[in-house]
Amino acid sequence: MQYRAPVEAYTGTVREITIGTGAKALRMGGETALPFHFFDQGAIPNPPRLALEVWDMPPRDWTRWVVEPFQDVISDPVKWAQKCVTYGADAVCLQLVSADPAAGDTTPDTAAQTAKAVAEAIPVPLIVYGPDDEKKNAAVLARVAEVCRGQNLLLGPAVKENYEAIAKAVLDNGHCLIAQTSLDINLAKELNIKICKSFPPDRVVIDPESPSLGYGMEYSFSITERIKQTGVIFKDGMTQMPIIANLAYECWKTKEAKEDRTQGILWEGMTAVSLLLAGANMAVLRHPETLHYVKRIFGLK
Amino acid sequence: MIIIGENIHIISKAVSRAIDSRDTKAIQALAMAQSQAGVHYVDLNLGPARKDPIPMTEWLVKTVQATVDLPLSIDTLSPVAMDVGLKMCKRRPLLNSVSGKAYSKEHMLPLAKTYSAEMVMSVLTDKGCPMDVASRSESIMDMVAYANRLGIPNEDIWVDPILLPVSADQGQAKEVLEFIKILPDILPGIKSTLGLSNLSNGTPPQRRGLLNRTYMIMLGRCGMYSVIADALDRQLMALNRGEMPEIVKLVYQVMDGESIDMASLPADARDYVKTARVLMGEKLYSHSWLED
Repeated sequence: MQYRAPVEAYTGTVREITIGTGAKALRMGGETALPFHFFDQGAIPNPPRLALEVWDMPPRDWTRWVVEPFQDVISDPVKWAQKCVTYGADAVCLQLVSADPAAGDTTPDTAAQTAKAVAEAIPVPLIVYGPDDEKKNAAVLARVAEVCRGQNLLLGPAVKENYEAIAKAVLDNGHCLIAQTSLDINLAKELNIKICKSFPPDRVVIDPESPSLGYGMEYSFSITERIKQTGVIFKDGMTQMPIIANLAYECWKTKEAKEDRTQGILWEGMTAVSLLLAGANMAVLRHPETLHYVKRIFGLK
Repeated sequence: MIIIGENIHIISKAVSRAIDSRDTKAIQALAMAQSQAGVHYVDLNLGPARKDPIPMTEWLVKTVQATVDLPLSIDTLSPVAMDVGLKMCKRRPLLNSVSGKAYSKEHMLPLAKTYSAEMVMSVLTDKGCPMDVASRSESIMDMVAYANRLGIPNEDIWVDPILLPVSADQGQAKEVLEFIKILPDILPGIKSTLGLSNLSNGTPPQRRGLLNRTYMIMLGRCGMYSVIADALDRQLMALNRGEMPEIVKLVYQVMDGESIDMASLPADARDYVKTARVLMGEKLYSHSWLED
């Protein structure tokens, strides 16, 4: 008798969301099979998307080999973002670090003007991460949403303490939202249920948090995997959102990444590849060589 | 099902204060309320009982026995407190609990023999908590065999599979059901119990009862002998008296994978169905599972 490989057919669909508008529009998610299960039934319409990150202030403690590729533009977020595009990023992720009360405490409006300038200067969609401080972040993202009205940015993170204010501004001004919880699938679902009481689920992206290789990546891996399984196999509407792995910051603060150039790039690369295999639909990277490395592995252009 | 009332529990601030200040009235009121609610045993949970275990235990057992005529479950990690507690019981007590840990085998188990007590025996070992049917079975069979060699019959042993919170490990609810189902086959004559409220630890307080009750229905169907539960949950006690047959039927339907016409059900029945689906692992748990 001939061996016939089993083929799974799934019933759930990951929501397909589009960020950016017009020629910049970028689709993510939309798969009806588990990640990279091309051998099963179902479609995987969009490849993993890769963003490079930009800071809105010159980083102080970055190791030399991450600064190098951006040496000439590191104090200018607009030029920095444009450079990311020349390196081949599908999207740019602006980290509004300076708005953190512990950093520069820039006003929401200043931060928003930076976001607007960056968004308008690049031919790819913009993702914006506000500062960690949840109170400040609510004010910052609300202002970014207003100032960049209609550009369909991907804004976050909204957390359980501040999602109401952020979601409203994001929705009123035509953007998408990043819902962030800390490495817990039940809490991720819980936040989505709460957000989606007043927000369309097909404009939400899940950020399950993405610790680095060697520092807890396996937690994120397994949660990402389980979110996909509950969405695709069990048709759970509240876990069917695409997933973003915002991993660059986590990777480049490790001792290993700072120790050696090649090791650092591989560290970020292996974290990204792992999380994408688990099912992340978008990875935020820092080093352009990591971007090329990940693209090569997945055969992406 | 045999209900062991859990409400005299050292983790409760009110109970802890009442014990510290030897507030006879407060403790007796709690014991009386549970007795009136219809419990079969009153659990006295003393926790680790590190500070003055003897006078505390003596006072508590005496105080409770002065007001209710129910058998007691003495629930402590301290062999000293356990010894005193069992000694004072007027009716045949339940030693709560022994486990497969070496310390427990050496210091707790002999007390059951000394006072001819029945005992709760958990599946815990020095290696931790077994998490699937096979390892739970392996652990408890070892332990029961050990007790049998000391002359303790299966009928005196109430196996506790150790139930974890659904918010921490959703899959455990179903694993425990499977284990309870096979228990009479692997250990004929054995009894069973578990800390039902632990299921909803970490769940928002207003929804804990619903989780506990739904799971109690499921356990009952699998042959559970007893639960340690919140005796002041009126619906839980009503359920145990067989007063909610419609709800029980619905939960069974979920367990059997039957389709249910949600629209035709009243709101409270729908909540039981949703909860049963979470406990069967059909729906991913979140604190907002009723709005899902």
